[in-house]
Amino acid sequence: MSWLEVLGVVLAGTLVGLDLASVPQAMFSRPIVAGMLGGLIVGDPLHGLAIGAILELFAMDSLPVGASRNPDWGPGTVAVGALAGEHPVILASGLLGLVLVAVVAAWAGGWGSHLVRRANVAAVAARRAALDAGDLRALRAVQYGGLLRDAVRALAVTALAFALGGLVSSLFARHWPGPQQLAQVAISATSIGVALHAGVRLAGSGRQSLWFVSGLAAGLLVVVTWLR
Amino acid sequence: MAEVTPAMPASRRVLLRLFVIQAAWNYERMQGIGFGYAAEPALRHLAGGPAGEKYRQALARESQFFNAHPYLAGLAVGAAIRAEFDGQPKERIERLREALCGPLGSIGDRLFWASWLPICAALGLMLFVFGARVWAAIAFLVLYNAAHLYCRVWSLRVGWERGMQVAGAMSTPVLRASARLAAPAAGVMVGLALPLAFGWQLVGAASRLALIAGALAVAVAVTLRLLRGRAGGVVVTSLLLVATWVLALLWR
Repeated sequence: MSWLEVLGVVLAGTLVGLDLASVPQAMFSRPIVAGMLGGLIVGDPLHGLAIGAILELFAMDSLPVGASRNPDWGPGTVAVGALAGEHPVILASGLLGLVLVAVVAAWAGGWGSHLVRRANVAAVAARRAALDAGDLRALRAVQYGGLLRDAVRALAVTALAFALGGLVSSLFARHWPGPQQLAQVAISATSIGVALHAGVRLAGSGRQSLWFVSGLAAGLLVVVTWLR
Repeated sequence: MAEVTPAMPASRRVLLRLFVIQAAWNYERMQGIGFGYAAEPALRHLAGGPAGEKYRQALARESQFFNAHPYLAGLAVGAAIRAEFDGQPKERIERLREALCGPLGSIGDRLFWASWLPICAALGLMLFVFGARVWAAIAFLVLYNAAHLYCRVWSLRVGWERGMQVAGAMSTPVLRASARLAAPAAGVMVGLALPLAFGWQLVGAASRLALIAGALAVAVAVTLRLLRGRAGGVVVTSLLLVATWVLALLWR
């Protein structure tokens, strides 16, 4: 991967990380988009999209409801999407390594958001008198400072995921004495299991859950017919 | 004759700044700083201009605590700006901001985070599985943002038009119908997408392998359900993936 591509990945990861909460919340940070962007930078959007689709299943369990601390899937997915696009012929064990790094990066991104929010509290406290007097300069300083802190967070998470992704992916690909199907089953079972849990939670209980169950039944029917 | 609502001053700049309403999100004022920043271009047009006392008082007021769904925050921003221009007492404006936090957060979370986003994500996944390739991600973005952008524009306009009576906008037939239909639609779409995504991941694999993966997926879902938030999907997933690697190492 050229330096220009690495720069593109870090820049895209930063922008996608900002999308989580700061600007503009247009869902560029969802894995299905972020993975494609990562792959696109290295000239292979499809493999980036494929890993993005797997990670989208994990992300279904972490909808950004309320003021809670949510995993940030964007920056890590851009990084692993680029790595998947760079090495399209990847073993299932290597893919499992990339998925693991993206999951850890999502957790680190959420934890970083918490730190940024705490730093923003300190920035507000430092300018409280000016803010309460309606000082525009103080307001701008806090606003732009928050944006900058979030950008630094997203950049750091992208860089971390990019560096770790290459290492862990090759480690898992080279040191995997077991069958590759084990990795394939692990990826499918965890991604679908997490998404299934999200679906059950979304559906709630009573009559509401019947909609989810009917969708699940219809999907199973289609997939059984298709796999035959 | 119907009363004509004057145009909101600097409405485009206010709308653009609404996209960064959460840039300085913090545990003390939450979206308050972003609220003040978004309202500021309009407040400059208050009597006395940006050097006037009215402007400074309004800016200080609008930068206090606020939290709502970001897409619907425009309703509160528009209404608060209108109230400032109408010369409403400061206590009434503060009460209006406080009163809007809960309902705007609740409606927005239900409509967007718990319904529209899962619907669009599930559709994107299904399109990808059926071979739409990059169009799957593009369709997801376009569909999701059509509603997102419409909501941003609509909320600011209606907030400004209704002012102190903005609460009525939350019970419009369109919003009520959307709230009623969105959750069942999300349930169906997510339910439909999961088996398809599962089939795509295991296409070509032996049926015994698919059965094992399916059983394990159910086990993962049940485990997460039993943990009930004590450990999130991210932690459980990380542990399971690392455990798989250890299992592979022990295989020989």
